[in-house]
Amino acid sequence: MQLTVGISEMKVSKNPGDTLVTYSLGSCIGVALFDPDAGVGGLIHCMLPLSRLDPTKAQQNPQMFTDTGVPALIQSLLDKGGTRKRMIAKVAGAASPLNDNGMFKIGERNYTVLRKVLWKNEILIAAEDVGGTIARTMTLCISNGKTTIRSGGTEREL
Amino acid sequence: MSQREEILARVSSITSLPTSATQMLALANNPETQIEDVQRTVEYDPGLVTNLLRLANSAHFGTGSAINSVREAVVRLGFKRVFQIAMTSAVAPIAQKEIRGYDLPRNGLLRHSAATALAVEYLPKRLSMRVPDATYTAGLLHDLGKIVLGTYLEVNSAPIVLKAYRESISFEMAEQQVLGTDHAEVGAALLEYWKLPQIVVDAVRWHHAPNRFPHEDKTVVDLVHVGEHVARICGTSSSTDGMNYSVCIESLDRLKVVPDVLEIVASDVLSSLEEICAIFN
Repeated sequence: MQLTVGISEMKVSKNPGDTLVTYSLGSCIGVALFDPDAGVGGLIHCMLPLSRLDPTKAQQNPQMFTDTGVPALIQSLLDKGGTRKRMIAKVAGAASPLNDNGMFKIGERNYTVLRKVLWKNEILIAAEDVGGTIARTMTLCISNGKTTIRSGGTEREL
Repeated sequence: MSQREEILARVSSITSLPTSATQMLALANNPETQIEDVQRTVEYDPGLVTNLLRLANSAHFGTGSAINSVREAVVRLGFKRVFQIAMTSAVAPIAQKEIRGYDLPRNGLLRHSAATALAVEYLPKRLSMRVPDATYTAGLLHDLGKIVLGTYLEVNSAPIVLKAYRESISFEMAEQQVLGTDHAEVGAALLEYWKLPQIVVDAVRWHHAPNRFPHEDKTVVDLVHVGEHVARICGTSSSTDGMNYSVCIESLDRLKVVPDVLEIVASDVLSSLEEICAIFN
């Protein structure tokens, strides 16, 4: 079954028949996390880097922010039998508009915060497709952990 | 006739604005308009009544307590809000359709349009600015040119996108080089044909180039420009043009926008966007 992950949402599954997909990753960051031994995977689509911007909103919806959303994703995989050291992280998004003079560095900041969160959890980024000005669609297949990126009419495995 | 002239000449042959929206526009322009006139216009369109009541009770447009009739909506929300709802309702069926040539899936343009309209409402609130009532409409309608080009004129945006990325130029500049015009100019021509107020037409025409708008007061065009970038932060970019647009730094300066404001407004928009889009699905 295909499960769509909306913006500021995450989905976690242990069902090998499931594929998780998230659309329109622009400056947002998408993280696909997969533990092959436990057969559990999750996908998150975070919009903004830091929850201190609005702690109330972060409490209502931790997935809106990278610094609260990604730990929630990790915890969900742990709850379903995953182990940190086996988790494979793949990352996409973090685009920026042209000539933004630093005003719209949300993509870059999302990526920086993500690296910090993963580093703290001792999870390495196995593959990534980040930056530029393109919008991406990211898919995670729970049966084998295959992660694909689609943008501008082409699809590739990450 | 140049390609640009040919495209602009065909604008009048495409879809028309729904009758109720045209009538609402006329009411908005008439200082003598009474509550009863608005009520009658809305009630003439059953689809509008349904959407009006649902939007009138949404977190963004509503007042917190239930609104059960058109009259109640007009009295409690006021004409400005009812007009915004009527325009959103009128545009939704047009903006919902897939735009194949521009690789926008069903609901793709509606989400982007609604997000921009919300952003141009939340930005001035966060910046403590007063803005003209037409700002919301300008945000809502800013990208209708993509429908004209991508659907009615069957433009395939693939070579435009390729040119933009190869030459590191923004998408609308690539449109100008390939088509002789861009979706902003085409959208403005459509809105002019539909007799939208000049302030809306101008904001749509110059939303990618606010500095070229030949008037001193650039507030609405600046807001639509920045609001559209906020909408992209909210994940409403299409898969072809993505975030491949330039930021007008002067617009940010004129509006006194700082990075934190952009993020706060993006979170405001996202909180209302899903509810509004769900009403039309």
